[in-house]
Amino acid sequence: MWRLAIKQVVAHRFRFVLTTLAVVIGVTFVSGTLVLTDTSQQLFDEKFSSRSSGSDVTVRTEVAFDEAMGVEVEHAPVPESLLDTVRDTAGVDEAVGVATGKGVLLVDGDAVESTGMPLVLSWTDEPFGRFEISAGHEPRAAGEVVLEQDTARRAGVEVGDTVTVQSDRVRELEVVGLAESTRQAAYEGASVALVDIDAAQELLRLGDGYSEIRVTADDGTTATALEDRLRDAVGKGYSVASSKDVARASSDAARTQLGYLQGALLALAAAALLIGGYLIANTFTIVVAQRTRELALLRAAGATARQVKRLLRGEALVVGVVGSAVGTVLGIGAAAALRGALEAAGADLPSGPAVIRPGSMLLAFAIGVTVTALAAVAPSRRAGRVSPLQAMRSAAAGRVAGRRRRVVGTVAGVASVAALVVVGAGGASVALAAVAGVLAVVALAALGPVLAGPLTRIVGRPLAALGVPGRLAGEFAAKAPRRTAATVLALSLSIGLIAFTTVLSASLRSEISDRYQEVVHADLVVESSGMEMLGGLSPAVYDRVAALPEVESATRMRLGHFKTDGTGTALAAVDPATVESAVTVEMRSGSLADLDRGGVMVSESTAKADGLEPGDTIAMTFPRGTRRVPVVGVYDDDLVAVTQVNYVIGLRAYERLYAEDVDADVFVTLAPGTDAEAAQAAVERALADFPNADVRDQAGATEGRTALLDQILGLVTAALLLTVLIALLGVTNTLALSIVERTQEIGLLRSIGMTDRQLRWMIRSEAAIQAAVAVVLGSVLGLGFAAATVRALGGTHPVPVVVPWGGLVTVLVLGTIAGLVAGMLPARRAARLRLMDAITTA
Amino acid sequence: MTTTATPAARPRTLAASVRQVTKTYGEGDTAVRALDRASLEIPTGQFTAVMGPSGSGKSTLMHVLAGLDDVDSGQVLLGETDLTRLSEKERTLLRRTRIGFVFQSFNLIPALTAAENIRLPLTLAGRRPDRAWEDRVVDMLGIADRLTHRPSELSGGQQQRVAVARALVTRPDVIFADEPTGNLDTQHGQALLEFLRHTSADLGQTIVMVTHDPTAASYADRVVFLVDGRVVDELTEPTASAVLTTMAGLAGKED
Repeated sequence: MWRLAIKQVVAHRFRFVLTTLAVVIGVTFVSGTLVLTDTSQQLFDEKFSSRSSGSDVTVRTEVAFDEAMGVEVEHAPVPESLLDTVRDTAGVDEAVGVATGKGVLLVDGDAVESTGMPLVLSWTDEPFGRFEISAGHEPRAAGEVVLEQDTARRAGVEVGDTVTVQSDRVRELEVVGLAESTRQAAYEGASVALVDIDAAQELLRLGDGYSEIRVTADDGTTATALEDRLRDAVGKGYSVASSKDVARASSDAARTQLGYLQGALLALAAAALLIGGYLIANTFTIVVAQRTRELALLRAAGATARQVKRLLRGEALVVGVVGSAVGTVLGIGAAAALRGALEAAGADLPSGPAVIRPGSMLLAFAIGVTVTALAAVAPSRRAGRVSPLQAMRSAAAGRVAGRRRRVVGTVAGVASVAALVVVGAGGASVALAAVAGVLAVVALAALGPVLAGPLTRIVGRPLAALGVPGRLAGEFAAKAPRRTAATVLALSLSIGLIAFTTVLSASLRSEISDRYQEVVHADLVVESSGMEMLGGLSPAVYDRVAALPEVESATRMRLGHFKTDGTGTALAAVDPATVESAVTVEMRSGSLADLDRGGVMVSESTAKADGLEPGDTIAMTFPRGTRRVPVVGVYDDDLVAVTQVNYVIGLRAYERLYAEDVDADVFVTLAPGTDAEAAQAAVERALADFPNADVRDQAGATEGRTALLDQILGLVTAALLLTVLIALLGVTNTLALSIVERTQEIGLLRSIGMTDRQLRWMIRSEAAIQAAVAVVLGSVLGLGFAAATVRALGGTHPVPVVVPWGGLVTVLVLGTIAGLVAGMLPARRAARLRLMDAITTA
Repeated sequence: MTTTATPAARPRTLAASVRQVTKTYGEGDTAVRALDRASLEIPTGQFTAVMGPSGSGKSTLMHVLAGLDDVDSGQVLLGETDLTRLSEKERTLLRRTRIGFVFQSFNLIPALTAAENIRLPLTLAGRRPDRAWEDRVVDMLGIADRLTHRPSELSGGQQQRVAVARALVTRPDVIFADEPTGNLDTQHGQALLEFLRHTSADLGQTIVMVTHDPTAASYADRVVFLVDGRVVDELTEPTASAVLTTMAGLAGKED
């Protein structure tokens, strides 16, 4: 049977090429995602481990957790006195205090580009630092800086030039030397400024403290022994860890973020594979129907039902293995393309040679083969049921749909609609919408053949008006409801997903901007252009803006992470005294002013979900330890649209709880009578040396809020277009296969005077009609689900559903055109059918 | 025989003809010479039957005459038009208007009604149907009450009559019928043959019918016999038994 299976695939190359292509695309996506994340992970690991100092042990202030939601927690500075304690500990050879932090390098007012965080580091010799001077000399005085040589080359800076380093403070420094990293790849692409320890402490506002103390053990003391001794010596409040573990914590944070990305990409890959699998099942079903006679002959010649089944499965396996192998290899190339797309959408991924892990390759390959094999299960079972007698009869036309099918389909359809209505009415969680989605697919799959005929006739009407070929195309599509339904379903699912994301994001987008404009009445908003998770404005920005005469008041918002019950959550910190000058805070209960007593406010929906009210306490784990924090108020969900968080604390408490010293937003209210444009210009001037500080008016700030959503949407849509492509392959494939069935009909049409062109137009029209039906069906599905989901997401506030009609009409038109294109290959095939064969084939 | 007019009574214009036509399929060792310098004249208004054993080239001859297939050498004329000088596209357009077909397996489009099937060649050509003519054809064939039905709702005989109507509706120069009774029972087959003969006799329609059934051939004005790609014999005003005798003679020669 194996040899026969392979022979079949080779003999029917065309039929299998398109099927294989579907596997290839899906597997390419999976393999590309895995290669990309493997590569990024490896590069992150390399980067952070090569950045780790050559010291044995690192002493820092203690934090309750190293990272939350993929963001590394900042450690508070250790006091100068601790360095003496460390040095006095037995077994310590040498100990140095170092200062490290974020520092943007500016040349002539422009920031030097940097992948990852731009760094400012205090200069230390090997093994505590990882740099060697390659030109000039090391930084010796407060006004001097040494640049990593690639950074300098990119910035076009030489020894003797002046640059600005902007960190918690801003300083102009003279470049006195260039340095080369002693570890390859550690700082590739990053901007690195090295200053002496005093300058670093000043820039980073560390006072006399250090970011961390790096220690080497003397001969005869092991690193582990030293760790234990140091732990006893420094006491509570400090963490002592091997320098390697410290590096690992950094790469763990990066890994968590990669994990989110990988999850999202794999979900899209799953969608591609699912639709690919459907296409495969579809193709095999048609193939079985067409080969009934051949299979029956095999049975008549003595093949058992099992053997016939095995034959079909064998063929599927050949397709799966070939497609998966090709897809896995192509994925390596696709990883680079995927990286480009993600970077265009704002993701920050390290670049380097692709990492190809055998495990990941095997996984991608196995997924492809499994999906293909599963897809062939039902068709091969059907093949096994072909009786030897059928060799003598011509294939009978299949029934449209059995009773059981209709019942199952109707029940699933009704259940799906009911679930959607419940979700839409706000009576259930969004998860029910997913259930409704599955039910809808079941209903469509079952009822598709029943619906296909009428739908095709309606949708095909405009084409029919264009002439006979268009009309015939519509009739043909309607005459083969099973085939049409199967083809249409895959396409309508992918279109439905696109419609869903489009409507969902358009609704959320308009909701976010509406709420933002309602809640934020600041005249100007300053935000970081870097889109850091916790914001990225130097506190100096607030100071400068607040000092301007045009500004009546300014208030700032900070973001942080904490953990409840072990899961990371975000919070915002505001100044209760000034926040209302720029942001409307509507309290449902409790009082905003009480924030200053060290309490927390929660959003209305969180209060509802967790049964919280003022007077309760929540256990919150901050980087500096767990506290029971009293709930002092419940705020309206409107504010969530602005802050994106469900917990708000006071700024004063934040400063006690976090070492982070960056602002996410600075809200500015202008003095009465000030010209808005002039004032904005004044603010921009004041912040000229903070290139990442974007000064936006309300409209601009609103846009900034939705920009991320747009980028994500763009990325998801691009990925979903891939599923559309796969589904279109399905249209091509089924249509091409149907040409074989219709040889006689085509022969007749040709012999009574249908021209080549008319014939091609007819076949293409049929594809276009199928695509149009799919687009209509998919749009309706996507719209319904998006509407219900939006309603459900709205929670206490019903969110209006925004339908981007322009976009949907574009999808409709493009989908139909794509259908025409999908029909081109089968049309050519039909036109190339030799007239004689077409006539004489009975 | 009940023929109302003899071919000799008509002016001897030619509806179609082939001269010294050769057609080979395949190449090298597997080459099959389907037509070997075959020549045949089809007078206007005549009902000609083409007979011959399997592989004699009778179907190929018909395909070549109808412009469905091209030839290696020789001349194929439809009226004054030399088909061998036309492109495939020109031949397609010519088939639309000047040639009609009736196939063994009816070859109706199942998705279209009988009336739509009949008008199909006209619609494809973007021509208006001639109502009076159409009604006359439909009446003659006795399918006026079946026009709104789809092929699946018609009997085999009715389907074939629809196919004949489709062939007639363009008033073609020649109708080619390929084993038109092959899928019909005897009764329906005879009715159809009667009809073809009347069409030829009363309307002056030129018909070329390929068949291997001597009885079917006996309805024609003339029978030509093909063996090994050549016209080897012919009978005018044939009877079934005369055809049988000739066939037997040919079979003998073949051996």
